[in-house]
Amino acid sequence: MKKIQFIAAVVLCILVAGFAAQAQDFSHIEAILESLDAQSRFDGLDFSSVLTMIVEDPDKGIEKMVVRQFRRDDGERFLLLIQEPVTEKGQGYLLEGDNLWFYDPSSRQFAHTSLKETFQDSDARNADFGSNSYSSSYEVEGYLEGTLGNFEVYIIDLKAVDDTVPFPYTKIWVTKDTSLVLKTEEYSLTYRLMRTGLFPKYTKVGDVVIPVQMIFVDELVEGQKTQIAVSEISVSPIPDHVFTKAYIERVNR
Amino acid sequence: MFLTMKVAFRNISRQKKRSFLLAGAIAFGMLAITLMNALTGGAVVNIRDNFSHALGGHVFITGREWTDAGQMIMKIRPDVNLDRLLEDNASQIEAFTKRSQAMPSLIFGSQQTMHIVYGVDFAEEDKLLDSLVVTEGSLDELGANDDVIILPQPVGERLGVEVGETILIRLETLTGQQNVDEVKVAAFIKDQEELGLSAAYTSRSYLNTLLGMDPHEYQILNMFVTDLDLVDGFAKTFREGLRTSEEEGEKDDEPEVTVTVAGVPMDPMTEPEEITRWEGTRYQVMNINQIMEAVELIVGVLNQVGLVIFLILLVVTMVGITNTFRMMMIERTKEIGTMRAFGMHQKQVKRIFLWEAVFLGLLGCLAGLVLSGLIALVVGSISLNADPSLQFFLNNGKITFRLPIGSVILNTSLVVFTSLLAAYWPARAAAKMSPMKALSSHT
Repeated sequence: MKKIQFIAAVVLCILVAGFAAQAQDFSHIEAILESLDAQSRFDGLDFSSVLTMIVEDPDKGIEKMVVRQFRRDDGERFLLLIQEPVTEKGQGYLLEGDNLWFYDPSSRQFAHTSLKETFQDSDARNADFGSNSYSSSYEVEGYLEGTLGNFEVYIIDLKAVDDTVPFPYTKIWVTKDTSLVLKTEEYSLTYRLMRTGLFPKYTKVGDVVIPVQMIFVDELVEGQKTQIAVSEISVSPIPDHVFTKAYIERVNR
Repeated sequence: MFLTMKVAFRNISRQKKRSFLLAGAIAFGMLAITLMNALTGGAVVNIRDNFSHALGGHVFITGREWTDAGQMIMKIRPDVNLDRLLEDNASQIEAFTKRSQAMPSLIFGSQQTMHIVYGVDFAEEDKLLDSLVVTEGSLDELGANDDVIILPQPVGERLGVEVGETILIRLETLTGQQNVDEVKVAAFIKDQEELGLSAAYTSRSYLNTLLGMDPHEYQILNMFVTDLDLVDGFAKTFREGLRTSEEEGEKDDEPEVTVTVAGVPMDPMTEPEEITRWEGTRYQVMNINQIMEAVELIVGVLNQVGLVIFLILLVVTMVGITNTFRMMMIERTKEIGTMRAFGMHQKQVKRIFLWEAVFLGLLGCLAGLVLSGLIALVVGSISLNADPSLQFFLNNGKITFRLPIGSVILNTSLVVFTSLLAAYWPARAAAKMSPMKALSSHT
């Protein structure tokens, strides 16, 4: 009888330990996610820059794109205006709250699109050009501590809380000391790696820290990747009319 | 009457060359309008057939519903009401298919291509399996495994994949999340890209899993009806039968047609209208005639233009006939005088001329119809290696001619009427001629 009691106690202990492990406290990781989101937002400031994108496609070769970016995080607005290549010049993406519009000067029409869509034929998504939303869009599934190069990092497993983000699962490498995302891995619904993002360079603009070099690697198509360099950064006020459809139409006249 | 007809016919055969030229002019006009009508008639039939084939039916039902997150998605859940309608109208349905569809990227190594993929229930789609021309591999594996795909041969070549190898299929779920999986190539099939039939096929339950749907759900119900003439009424039965009580108070119009490929509208999406959300599934029922409306409008305009050209040709011919009949009247002055002297009435003389005009018109029409038939026969037997966009107008690469009997009757009546009109005044003048003057004439 004592033996049975002993076995039962051991099993109970194991179960309790298991549940305890499962109910890990992720509050400090969630705090990191919140700080990642906060430090990527230009609250009360406008932001503009020039994005130079090099898209490497095994089929089409290397293509260069130059995009002028205007961003106002108060009100979730951004405008991306393509300046190069000439064939796509004038095309624009206008985010107004929940609505993202794509303007094509050849048809002179606005079409509704989504932040989840890819940007042109690159490996970047439209959502990559706004502020982060890790804390609201994902929940922490687990984390590890490790190193990435010379950096001590948290490797955080995230799961999307709803369908508003393109990738249902994401893994991010965040530096312990500075809370910067150095690497991301994004997974499909079947948990297959689809895209890797690398963020080797950051710059500080006021209180905001933004990556000035981004590399997105398509993990499904060999040799497919996109590099983005951010330059001509400015936080000068941007006139309200810039974030309007009329403005995109006007710059195309 | 018979006598006048006999004399008229004899007169025509007396002046063979002249009759030939006059009838030839009429025949040319008849030939042009007949070919035009037959060509457009055949094109309409071919476009309708090709569309039906490409879209997989004559009547198409899609369902839309809202997700909790406020996204509108396209899917049809198992529905007792829909099943009952299918059962009640079974006698009018030749075949129906329940399919899912997506436009994924198919990836093999560094190669990728976007291609429409239909998720089909292979156990129920014997007709589809029979129509597929397998160029490599086999369709036997389809029942055993879900994660297999049938690719059009050019797609396989583009990817550089062999039958039996595995490719990646990358797509978005209905709610826009990224998904990817490995799928084995079971077979290559002959492509029918020119007819918009260049599709890959996989099992519906498998595609549903990738799209984030349950295995028994689907996105489009396609139906082939037994009688195309009844397709509008048939579609209306389903439209009304599937309407929810909420929809009753809303507009009763037929839905506007937006041709889509794999769920992607071909026309650019403009600003979304303010749509009030609803509970459950709302159905949209479309039929092939709605899609054909635009085509038939163009064909109607073409036929109108053809008719105008035909009328112009007839007016020109009419002038020729009038002049010829005036000449004939002068040539036959003595003959008319003799006939009148022997007791022929004015009306009979007039009728001779008018019957000649009728015979000429009918001969011209007959010649035009025979000639256009011969041309149609020759042209219709030639297999054209035309531009893929033109293939939609053709039947297996061949031009089809379909001549509505109504247009033959209309055109022939027009020819006879204008011939009669052209010959009327010379005929009246001939009839009114004094027998004495006619007999003393030197002509």
